[in-house]
Amino acid sequence: MSSAFDFPGGIYPPERKQRSNQAALVSAPLPMRVTLPLQQHSGQASTPCVAVGEQVYVGSIIARREGMISSNLHASISGVIAAVSASHIIIEGDGQDTWQRLPSLDWPHSAPAELLERLNESGIVGLGGAGFPTSVKARVVEQHVIHTLVINAAECEPYITADDLTLRHHPTEVLEGAQILAKLCGAQQILIGIEDNKPEAIKALNKALPNSQPVPVALKVVATRYPSGGERQLIKRLLNLNVPSGGLPADVGVLCHNPGTLLAALQAVRDGQPLVSRVVTLTGEALTQPGNRWVRLGTSVKELLTQAGLDQTSVAQVIQGGPMMGTPLLTLDTPVTKLTNCLIAATIAELPPAPAESPCIRCGECESVCPVALLPQQLHWYARAKDDAKMERYHLFDCIECGACSYVCPSHIPLVEDYREAKGRIRLQRIESVKAEHAKHRFEFRQARLAREEAEKQARREARQAQNRRPHSHASTENSEKVDLRGLRIAHAAAKASVKKAEKTLARVAQEDPKQPLDDLEMQLATAQENLRATELQLAQAREQQPSKESS
Amino acid sequence: MSDTFDALSMLSAVAVLTGLGLGFGALLGVVSERFKREDNPLVERIDALLPQTQCGQCGYPGCRPYAEAINQGDALNKCPPGGEATIHALADLLGREPEPLDGEAQSEAKVAFIREDECIGCTKCIQACPVDAIIGAAKLMHTVIEDECTGCDLCLEPCPVDCIDMLPRTAPLHQWQPVFAHSAGLIASDRQPVLGGAHVERL
Repeated sequence: MSSAFDFPGGIYPPERKQRSNQAALVSAPLPMRVTLPLQQHSGQASTPCVAVGEQVYVGSIIARREGMISSNLHASISGVIAAVSASHIIIEGDGQDTWQRLPSLDWPHSAPAELLERLNESGIVGLGGAGFPTSVKARVVEQHVIHTLVINAAECEPYITADDLTLRHHPTEVLEGAQILAKLCGAQQILIGIEDNKPEAIKALNKALPNSQPVPVALKVVATRYPSGGERQLIKRLLNLNVPSGGLPADVGVLCHNPGTLLAALQAVRDGQPLVSRVVTLTGEALTQPGNRWVRLGTSVKELLTQAGLDQTSVAQVIQGGPMMGTPLLTLDTPVTKLTNCLIAATIAELPPAPAESPCIRCGECESVCPVALLPQQLHWYARAKDDAKMERYHLFDCIECGACSYVCPSHIPLVEDYREAKGRIRLQRIESVKAEHAKHRFEFRQARLAREEAEKQARREARQAQNRRPHSHASTENSEKVDLRGLRIAHAAAKASVKKAEKTLARVAQEDPKQPLDDLEMQLATAQENLRATELQLAQAREQQPSKESS
Repeated sequence: MSDTFDALSMLSAVAVLTGLGLGFGALLGVVSERFKREDNPLVERIDALLPQTQCGQCGYPGCRPYAEAINQGDALNKCPPGGEATIHALADLLGREPEPLDGEAQSEAKVAFIREDECIGCTKCIQACPVDAIIGAAKLMHTVIEDECTGCDLCLEPCPVDCIDMLPRTAPLHQWQPVFAHSAGLIASDRQPVLGGAHVERL
């Protein structure tokens, strides 16, 4: 069964999965109105490409990707566009559910470029929670060699059963989707990592395994422990590989995908159906009909929970995502997005508010459960002191925000909140410093340009004067200001060297990482060129003056 | 006998140490001349801490001249866009005492905005902009490139028709920062009651 490899730490919170994994996976009723946010994925928000009043069908593209890491967005119901704003698009449904599908692709005989284009076109993103565009992830083979594709079916967070139910109902399809992505990334094997608390999904997978072609598939069942569904933690457990700090699984030759993503990828390729719906777990004590539903993106959370029998009197809070890493919703007037895997309508007895926070007693409990082997209490002190340099030295950015430290803390300190805040603050600072650097380069370029213009003007003036002066010769010998020819020559050589240096840096960086924006480096090169031009002009001028001086 | 020995050993020690001193002194002199740096690395580091708005509120034409002035001993507290954070960072770097900010701190990031129908196309703001963030031509409307504007105010002064406003800079959605309600400081008795649902990681 499970192998001996393991990650440090981990906790065993109550699972509470039985509430939602008893009922079969069914479709939620078709919503009459959907709100589709333009940012349902990591990276840049997409740009609307429809106008108010336009007729759309299910699968019509309504917003296009913007920039490198972004994703397309499609209409999830047929109807009329009711509103387009900077953040979202609203569609008023006609109740017809008319589809607009792309042509079906025969994936074993399709070119990889064609499949990538289809994934890109269909707006497929990672449905596990991060929402990273799948087509971008699949293109990682351009830089890395991938040997294993991992299907991350661990689903370690309490309450959530979306992947479990997806696997029970569509094991063959998920495996076929995995074969498509394995073909795209050239993986030699497919590994399924699943926790042992999903016996029915394991049974379904075992039945489907022998028919999966052509890449061999293996099923690895691991003991239930939170957070084994973390990408790095699962890779450690399955393959005993350590993903380097600040690196990606691709650095050790592994790609991780969520079963839901694989199913969506297959539907996009085989059926030409873009990502317009997903499986959402509806659970919590305040729901009378918990279970998993196929939900159209953009459906209102309130509508969805009401249909599942929300008890308005007993519900204390609604959490989107799991109880460990999810976020409480401030309002139910919010849509289901590509990233909504679970909605928990919890009563006060079920998820009571945390007791008041007490000071840290340095018990070290958080250290022993941290799955990344960080020092949460040290980070806590530095976070409260806003000592960002120290936090980075203590590897704040390796924190996966799993919440294990907050869970065990006897002083009830919301540690993860501190870390999230600090991360946000540091990220903002980084953006600011990049901006400042950029402004500096622009300023320098402007200075250099002004200097060059000044030098050119000076050169023209001199030329004019020289022409006027020629008739009465040697009148200009009183031009006694000492021309520092040597200094100018040095400046000229330095300017030449800096142009060469800037060119070299630009070429090196462009070669190392062709995707990186090069504006700043190009600006530096332009600045150096302007400087060179200015010094050249000055030097030429000085040289002209020199002989006349010597002759006098 | 012992006296002469002592005098000899003392003299030799003095000679050796002097020789060493002269030797190393000469070596250092040669090396410092041979590997001379045109730019001052400390100025670079000071410059890196300044906010690069190039606004000139410090009285110098741009951030780099101010960095050079600080290196020469000028006060640290002349940079309103940087605020307290910059003063503290500079004080840390240079080992000086932080001083209170000279002038009013900027509460938020600003960006210049030209009311385009009022612009007469005089190009004066274009000439004033230190980062070339205004585009336009003579007798044609000008506009500010929002992403490049550092919010330095330098374009306000030269505008003859006062058609430039400083507006708060809107951060893009992906830079949005969640607001955390801090439930307590480090002193337990300062504690305020925890808001319902403020901390939900716990089952």
